[in-house]
Amino acid sequence: MSAATAAMRQSRISRGAALARLALRIGGRYVARSPKLLFASVEHRAELRHDLAYRSADEVAEELGSMKGVLMKLGQMASYIYDDMPLTFRAAMSRLQHRAAPMTPELAASVIREELGGEPEQLFREWDPLPFAAASIGQVHRAITRDGRAVAVKVQYPGIARSITSDLRNVGLLRRVVGAAFPGLDTRSFVDEVSDRLREEVDYVREAGSQEVFARYYDGHPVIRVPHVVPELSTARVLTSELVSGSSFDDLLTWDQHERDLAAETIHRFVFRSLYRLHAFNGDPHPGNYLFHGDGRVTFLDFGLTKMFTEADLNPLIDAVRCLVFEKDYEAFRAALEQAGFLKPGAPVPTQLVVDRFGQFYGTVLQDAPMTITPAYASAIVRRFFDARGPLAPYSDVPREYVIMQRINLGLYALLGSLNATANWRRIAEEIWPFRNGPPSTPIGEAEARWEATRASTTLEKVIKN
Amino acid sequence: MDTARLSPLEPLARAFQRAVPEHPADDGLFGRRSIVWRVNRDRSFPLAGMRSLMVQALHPLAMAGVAQHSNWRQDPFGRLAATSSYLLTTTYGDTVSALAAAAWVRKIHVHVRGTDAVTGLAYSAEDPALLLWVHAGMVDSVVTVAQRYGRPLSSEDADRYVAEMVRFAEIVGVPRDDVPTTVQALRGYIESVGLRQATPAARDAIQTVLDPPEIEEDDMRQLWRDLGQVAVGTLPDWARDMYGFQAPPPELMERESVRQLLGALDLAFEGLPGVLEARQRIELRIRATE
Repeated sequence: MSAATAAMRQSRISRGAALARLALRIGGRYVARSPKLLFASVEHRAELRHDLAYRSADEVAEELGSMKGVLMKLGQMASYIYDDMPLTFRAAMSRLQHRAAPMTPELAASVIREELGGEPEQLFREWDPLPFAAASIGQVHRAITRDGRAVAVKVQYPGIARSITSDLRNVGLLRRVVGAAFPGLDTRSFVDEVSDRLREEVDYVREAGSQEVFARYYDGHPVIRVPHVVPELSTARVLTSELVSGSSFDDLLTWDQHERDLAAETIHRFVFRSLYRLHAFNGDPHPGNYLFHGDGRVTFLDFGLTKMFTEADLNPLIDAVRCLVFEKDYEAFRAALEQAGFLKPGAPVPTQLVVDRFGQFYGTVLQDAPMTITPAYASAIVRRFFDARGPLAPYSDVPREYVIMQRINLGLYALLGSLNATANWRRIAEEIWPFRNGPPSTPIGEAEARWEATRASTTLEKVIKN
Repeated sequence: MDTARLSPLEPLARAFQRAVPEHPADDGLFGRRSIVWRVNRDRSFPLAGMRSLMVQALHPLAMAGVAQHSNWRQDPFGRLAATSSYLLTTTYGDTVSALAAAAWVRKIHVHVRGTDAVTGLAYSAEDPALLLWVHAGMVDSVVTVAQRYGRPLSSEDADRYVAEMVRFAEIVGVPRDDVPTTVQALRGYIESVGLRQATPAARDAIQTVLDPPEIEEDDMRQLWRDLGQVAVGTLPDWARDMYGFQAPPPELMERESVRQLLGALDLAFEGLPGVLEARQRIELRIRATE
């Protein structure tokens, strides 16, 4: 037997083994555990400073109101994308973010009372008065509902919605602070983007709606899971959803490369599938928003910033991919970018420059071959995003419809870069692009195809029944 | 927010970090239950500091002492840091550190004497009357600014603050009985001082405070200028008239937008090494008694 044949056989065997593992999981993917056990398995995270917990709405306002919360968020976003960020600034942002003071049990209970009309101990069969995780403008408690479901209850800081809304109105100050902190950054689009994001994030009703869209779509998916919302226990400031326990991104970084590759594949599939099939984009690629379960299974949390796209929004993007990657029709690629508003029509720049500049964003799908996304590759992509200096800068723009999507792409690259993930990203994309409908290219892809087939038939059944 | 470009704040951050001890021998001159501990770390303090300088400079002899003896012009933010360090050490330091800091100031004051060119009067930094003026200018500014832009401060607590701060004046050499103990008495005293005027030295110094050459970046300069204008807006009419300043437009003085400005500044400060940790040390000491 030649070495090549042996290698092929070997790869077929491991592929078969992986498939078998996946098949075992489908159906009983997330082994039904008793709510009690699940409740107990979710650990309190260490970063919460209970000794400094907020005792009153006044204290919350003092610490996070008057621009401080808004600017921290802004600094956090800028730290993903701003190239010349001094190390001292990065260190400062990470210190500020890690202080995460929770609310005292009494203050959190007061929010529950105002929102749900009762004491948490009465509304839930079990309620953990100490939060297990921090959220950007609140904290997350574990609980068991009266009908016996283990849930995660996100509770918003009192008064924060009003103060953030008011801070965001002071656009002049925001732009000036951003301008002072990050010279060279396009402060207008950056501040507008962050403002939109924060305005939406304070409304948990909106978030619950988005989360449920994703949760329903991915029901039964072999590796992607989105917890369902419990609507009767959710309001504008309280968001209750299924409790999920899993490993953090930091844990994932200690797993072997194969596990990291699988997790990266799932994240990549989630982003592509959500955009091209569900026409939705979830905007916070923060590592804290993922839970990992091994074998590529990932739970996606936090839908505070979701954007739904229309066909009209998506078509130019699809045209651009098709023209650049498949038809190699660069003039048509340029025209698609112009139609989407990324590039001013008639800009006095050669099309080759446009292809070079924008083609970078398609680097993972240009070649039909395995590719490793390294941290260096990721930061090179990110660096070009808010570049106000390049030759195309005067003519390029990020239209408001796509601002969020761009952000996610950037965050996604950063994330995949830190995983050093390898895959044939192009093949995976081809499975999902609606104009390709490519065959499954990986074991996960095959499991996904089977899920999609059942999904289609159950959808059809529902249609017929109705 | 960018520390590299906010270097003027760095000496202040270092001063703050050093002034709040990790293992204090005791609770110092005021104690963790004092109103002084609460007010002297209010976010509005930078504004109070600016206003203090504007009021204090209106005494020609106090101004002459600074103009003739201080190196503030070479290093205005370093000078500010030294003052701030003194205030913080005497507030949050243990008794030994607080008294040592006061002794050091008194030692320096021995050599600060001379004649003011405008009034022709001799002055000495050991003069209790001058020390009282400087004290009153600061305490009045802290109360005025905190009540307007800080965490809520009732008039009873404001009086308590003024009364507790008597100790602050005493340790640099003002006889205890000379120091006003209520907000009203404090303001009465300030307006009773006859020698008030804006000398050229005072105008020059305050111009530098309002527009420090150390800040080169346009956006940051504008933020600083806005802060200065708010400080001008909190001055009593007589003080503003002496400088010939216009009252700023009312929308600039609105509580919410000023607090937003202060919040941005505060976040920049808090992001510097050691500041957040020092604040947490104070907070934890206060909470330990509750």
